[in-house]
Amino acid sequence: MSRFLPVQLSLLSALLLGQDPSAAQLHNWVSGHNLAAIKALGQPVLPKLVRLYETAADEGFKARVAQTLYELSWKSPEAKRALMKDMHTTSSDLRLQVQWALGRVSNDQDVVDTLLANMRDDSNPLFRDKAACALANDQIHLSERQKIRLFAALIDALDDDKLDVRSIALQALSIHTGQTKGFNPGGSQVERERKIRVWQRWLEEYKSGL
Amino acid sequence: MARRIQVGLVTASLIFVATAAAQAAALVRYSFDDGVLEAGPDTFSVFQFGQGTVTVSALNRFSGYRSVELRDIPGDHSFPELQGYFPLRKNGKLYLHFAIMTTDPAEELNIALAGPQWFKLKKHGIGFWLKTADGYLAAISDSMPKKLFAMRPFVWYVTDVTYDIDAGVYDLTIRQEGFETPVAQVIAQPNAPNQPGSQVDKFSFIGDHETDASKVVYYVDDVLVGVDEAIVHQPFVAPGRRKLFIDYWNDAQRTRAAHPSPLPMTSLADLGIGPAETAALREDRAGELLGQILSGKTAEVPAALGSRSQTILQSVIAWRAGAEDLRSDEAESALRHFERASQLSPSAPLFKMDAVMALAHLARWEEVDRRLAAIVPLWRGDPRLPTALAMIGLARGDLGALEREANGPLAEQYFLALLWKGEATRAEQFAGSMLANAAAPAQAIWRERLGDSAFLTGNTERARGLYEASLAEHPQPASVWLKLSDVYFKLGDLERERAFRERIYGGLRGR
Repeated sequence: MSRFLPVQLSLLSALLLGQDPSAAQLHNWVSGHNLAAIKALGQPVLPKLVRLYETAADEGFKARVAQTLYELSWKSPEAKRALMKDMHTTSSDLRLQVQWALGRVSNDQDVVDTLLANMRDDSNPLFRDKAACALANDQIHLSERQKIRLFAALIDALDDDKLDVRSIALQALSIHTGQTKGFNPGGSQVERERKIRVWQRWLEEYKSGL
Repeated sequence: MARRIQVGLVTASLIFVATAAAQAAALVRYSFDDGVLEAGPDTFSVFQFGQGTVTVSALNRFSGYRSVELRDIPGDHSFPELQGYFPLRKNGKLYLHFAIMTTDPAEELNIALAGPQWFKLKKHGIGFWLKTADGYLAAISDSMPKKLFAMRPFVWYVTDVTYDIDAGVYDLTIRQEGFETPVAQVIAQPNAPNQPGSQVDKFSFIGDHETDASKVVYYVDDVLVGVDEAIVHQPFVAPGRRKLFIDYWNDAQRTRAAHPSPLPMTSLADLGIGPAETAALREDRAGELLGQILSGKTAEVPAALGSRSQTILQSVIAWRAGAEDLRSDEAESALRHFERASQLSPSAPLFKMDAVMALAHLARWEEVDRRLAAIVPLWRGDPRLPTALAMIGLARGDLGALEREANGPLAEQYFLALLWKGEATRAEQFAGSMLANAAAPAQAIWRERLGDSAFLTGNTERARGLYEASLAEHPQPASVWLKLSDVYFKLGDLERERAFRERIYGGLRGR
């Protein structure tokens, strides 16, 4: 599924209107995916985007705002607070955009914890899969210690009862590390436990290096 | 993130050595010093999409006259990058050598060898990876950072890597300049993703790549990648390969006839190409064309190019034509070209100085003296200035007449001409008399000149004393800081050398 709408660049609009666009102008830029114009306004645009998100009439537009926040990748406690409210929405488009965007606006632990919970326990396998995707690709502000905590949780998920959770946890780990350490999500329990211990030893060494 | 290749803006000033004889064993060799060569998209690329830059530095170098400076700017959603390529290596061992110096170890930088999967942590992606974190240099091995040592700012670290593709491991040795004992040494370390057989075909130097928070400024020199360990991993040499300003003088004496000739270009700033001009050239994708013009491959500018880039490139073409003419003793024609270049690019210091050299060649001394009075203060601290003044002084012919008229710029020309001829004693006597009769700021400059004479004649300790004494009321102390940096380097006092390096850097940042 493509994450991006066609781009319509209009920096001239941003320049002509100056640094403080109206809500309507910002709404148009979000709808038209005019990221360049929004980015040109700098980080002061973030509270305005959050207001747009919170006052949005429909979830489709909310998803577009979330997508914009994802692409800006600027840390914002307000954006995180707003997005977290929709971490369990049943709207597919909005849920995915929120899950992807959160790691880009925040490195708070509850973001990672909620994504991990979604990855393991959401009733919808698509949401589980995309939560793992977000954990693998979008937690860009994590410190080394926070990464260790994430890796520990992913390694723990290698022991999940559900095969798809074991698979996506491994995929997330391999995206972060480039390795699988030979773990086979469909292998026997004995073999899986053996490889989990390999991962756990790796994690201990990682921790000790800090 | 899609990134286009922008080659040429730095290729124009980055200068490379790759000898045909070494090609089988040395896949890539960058010393950033000697002779413009074939430098195209299949050799290396420079990425400057944000506000960060990759430029040549004559101030900080491990060897020779120049290194490359990478400067990252936080919040610009990009990072500067020097990326080099070599034929894909699928097996065997690869040897990597380079020197780096950071101005702040707390700011993140990354250095990597990678393969066809580019800069991802996976097989055939990043195979070897160094990064700074919390003031430490760390190596990514088995997908985790492993601290090596706490880096010091303004210190060169020489790195040697043996990368075993088949086994998926590497040996790493890092030495601080001037010390034989390594500050870090690891053997048979798992490669970055712990993937045996991970192929490589490129290396990269960048700032930070994810958080966009780094404002690192660091320097890279002597990059060498090859398959022959004997060529790549040279025996560690104590500091001595670096070119000092006196080496510039000595090299100039050896290679140049004692009549005014064009000065060598050392950076794009010589040609009046600063940030605004760089942005214009980048926007018009004219960087590679600039490189071709500078290397003499073309003197044509497409009519469709933007007017700003047209002007910049035409000024460089005019300047090159003038330099060729002056080297062929066609001074009148050379002067016309230099004047045109200056009209097109009034901010280019080299065009103005080369015009003076052409005027000196034509013995138009009134015009030489008038122009030098404005130019010399702007060239203080540039190692090319003493050579230029010496050549001009000698070109006057009658040194006796010069001595009689000696004041201001003429006095410096006379002094430097004597040094150029090897008459150090006479030069020092003259400088001593000038010092005795000069007022405060001029005294500092004459102490500096006496220091130059001492340094050139091998009396390094005396040079140190004179330079230190000249600092007190020197109008442009940065020129003396540079020389003191070289003096302490020569004396083997690397701590003081490092301190002056830091002072020069701080002085530049403060402007």
